[in-house]
Amino acid sequence: MHTIWRVILVAFLCGSPLGYGYTPGEMVDSKMPTKTLMPKVKVDSGRLEWVPYAMDLSPWPTLCEDDPRAMPRPQHAQYVAPLRGDAVRGRMIVMDTRRGNCVTCHEIPGEDWPGTFGRKLNHYKQLRMSDADIYQQIYDVRITAPRAVMPPFGALGILSDQDIRDVVAYLQSLE
Amino acid sequence: MRNLIVVLGLLLAPAWADEPYKEYTPAEHFEPHVSGDSQLTGTYRYWKDPTKLDLRLAGHPDDSWKLNWKHLDYPFNKEMHAGHLALDRGLVLFNKLNRAGTFKNCLVMYRLNGQYETTLRGLRTHFPAYRTDLRRVAGLEEVIEHCAALESETLQNGSYDNSAVSIYIASQSLGMPIKIDVSSGPLREAWKRGERLFHQKVGRNNMSCASCHVGRVGQSLRATVVTSPYGDAAHYPVYRDRFGITSLHIRFAQCSLDLGFNALKPGSPAYTDVEVFLTALTNGYPVSVPSERP
Ligand code: HEC
Ligand code: HEC
Repeated sequence: MHTIWRVILVAFLCGSPLGYGYTPGEMVDSKMPTKTLMPKVKVDSGRLEWVPYAMDLSPWPTLCEDDPRAMPRPQHAQYVAPLRGDAVRGRMIVMDTRRGNCVTCHEIPGEDWPGTFGRKLNHYKQLRMSDADIYQQIYDVRITAPRAVMPPFGALGILSDQDIRDVVAYLQSLE
Repeated sequence: MRNLIVVLGLLLAPAWADEPYKEYTPAEHFEPHVSGDSQLTGTYRYWKDPTKLDLRLAGHPDDSWKLNWKHLDYPFNKEMHAGHLALDRGLVLFNKLNRAGTFKNCLVMYRLNGQYETTLRGLRTHFPAYRTDLRRVAGLEEVIEHCAALESETLQNGSYDNSAVSIYIASQSLGMPIKIDVSSGPLREAWKRGERLFHQKVGRNNMSCASCHVGRVGQSLRATVVTSPYGDAAHYPVYRDRFGITSLHIRFAQCSLDLGFNALKPGSPAYTDVEVFLTALTNGYPVSVPSERP
């Protein structure tokens, strides 16, 4: 009940109700499989089209002071050894823009246009970091480096426990 | 009576509940003038004067970000691009809407403190503005939509035709510096809200606009380099190759999706607040349309 009122409040404060039947003001269509909509500007038209976006972003708070949804707080990872990660799968996650997307910010071997937000991970094994520390870094960077602009992949549920283990195995394979 | 109390309680419950947890990027000091960039990224000296950009920087893939993309503005960029077609259509649409003269009146009147103008010249430079008829701060595109509706035409905020008219109106202020006053009143409130939103971390990456546009200017995300948030509001609506004619709120919608949260409808209060914030950071920079951006 509480949530419903909050949603109504958001509807009221974050934008004009649109009749899309979800959280108004936010461009979503609950009848589409991914809900999230993106604008499409059609040439010589006075109407703005909204088409389905590839991902469902509805669980996340949007840019609005009164959005009642909270972001997850910083979390300590519950890592249990042994690692049991698959480095090949880990690499796929690292390169996948919908999942790890690490290459957007870090230099990774075999990528020609890496980002420069974070340090180069090319020879990460040489740093001799423990599996547990790398796991925490990926799970929730806010514990290890609060000011780093890196998504807390585990705390936000973007990567699963096994996904993170696979990524750690991949980083530990970079001699 | 009892039911009424329950209903009232439910209505007010959200106001009493704890603030939902959100993080904010530590705020830098922002000046409501484009020269404030000197303290933030220091690139201002490279793009300060659009007629005197350094040709060598523009041609250098590692250094061109220092120009804050101003080399894509006229006069440096004399290419014929789709923005020019939008400008042409904007003129035609404007004349059609303004057959009775009432469309223009609607655009130029109703500003706070009765600062009416009579011509389109300079109009672009003081939007967003507080509109006494709408009783809120509104961007130019929102006002175009509103005034077109009074002429029984649909020009949805963010649509091609709305942006075309906006580009035409901006072209009447070409070279004039952006000039919005955020020192008091509703615009000051909007600037403060916009600044806070700019630092609010949301979405599936837990990032704020400031995560990139403050501490990370000059660094690259794959092939794109982040540039200064100063001076970004002078060339909108802009032509983008992959997206077509893009108003500032449509750009925000695209940013939102890239960052991992749902887009808001153009004209939403939160986007207008961010528009006020970014426009104030463009104060003093000349209007430049039609332009293009990647
Ligand atoms: C939005 C940009 C961004 C993304 C995406 C990102 N990182 Fe980071 N990462 C950073 C920043 C910034 C830091 C902190 C600066 C540094 O130490 O490199 C960092 C730090 C790290 C570190 C610690 C480096 C050290 O000093 O030991 C590791 C390990 C790491 N990231 C791995 C990853 C992995 C794996 C992924 C993908 C699952 C990823 N990052 C995605 C930006 C990012
Ligand atoms: C992950 C990093 C990142 C974040 C976070 C981010 N941006 Fe950007 N933004 C970019 C990049 C990269 C560009 C393209 C290069 C440039 O113009 O800076 C860009 C471009 C822009 C532009 C176009 C500038 C122009 O010259 O036309 C605007 C406006 C903008 N961003 C606003 C925002 C707003 C508002 C937010 C917060 C909702 C935001 N950005 C968050 C990376 C980011």
